[in-house]
Amino acid sequence: MTRMSADVHIIEGPLPAEPTPWTHAPGNGALILFEGIARPSEDGEPILALDYEAYEPMCSRQLQLLGDDIVAKHGLIALCVEHSTGRVGVGACSFRLRLASYHRKEGLAAMDEFIDRLKRDVPLWKTAVKA
Amino acid sequence: MIELTVKLFGPAARAAATSELSVQIDGDATIAADVLRALRDQHTSIASLVDAARLAVNHEFADADTPVRASDELALIGQVSGG
Repeated sequence: MTRMSADVHIIEGPLPAEPTPWTHAPGNGALILFEGIARPSEDGEPILALDYEAYEPMCSRQLQLLGDDIVAKHGLIALCVEHSTGRVGVGACSFRLRLASYHRKEGLAAMDEFIDRLKRDVPLWKTAVKA
Repeated sequence: MIELTVKLFGPAARAAATSELSVQIDGDATIAADVLRALRDQHTSIASLVDAARLAVNHEFADADTPVRASDELALIGQVSGG
């Protein structure tokens, strides 16, 4: 079966509560969702928000390369990543990763690896907005 | 001598208090490793951050020997913090 490429969405401000529609073929054994939420403190200090800065178009390109590589490496059915730029208030979602896999094990491993590599290879920076 | 402009982000931009820095390098062309060395030598405010950073040339991570020309878009990609 032909593998799908990853869906990548960079969104200004907090991610909407309703996830971006994505396409995944029948056959899923596992659907996995991870959401990153802005915490109310950073290094023990209360904060109001996080400001995200992306270096585009490199950020989108790196996310696409990463997503496609994770899909191929772990044999996923589909992967969709959404990430905020700009200001995201405390309690709001700034990062959402969904993936579909045939089995739980490769899906969870793919989720973990994607996030590790995101934090190493994708030109995105966050700055805490102090209270 | 060529003069190159390097974009800065995150901690590097805060340390340098600017979003771009220029470096001067002898010759008509150079390589990524020499741009990083010039950043370290010519801008002490970010010297400690350059060692852990990579250079992006035209939006792709460069190897040490990747050629760099004056018309290229350069960015210093230090520790990132997405997610």
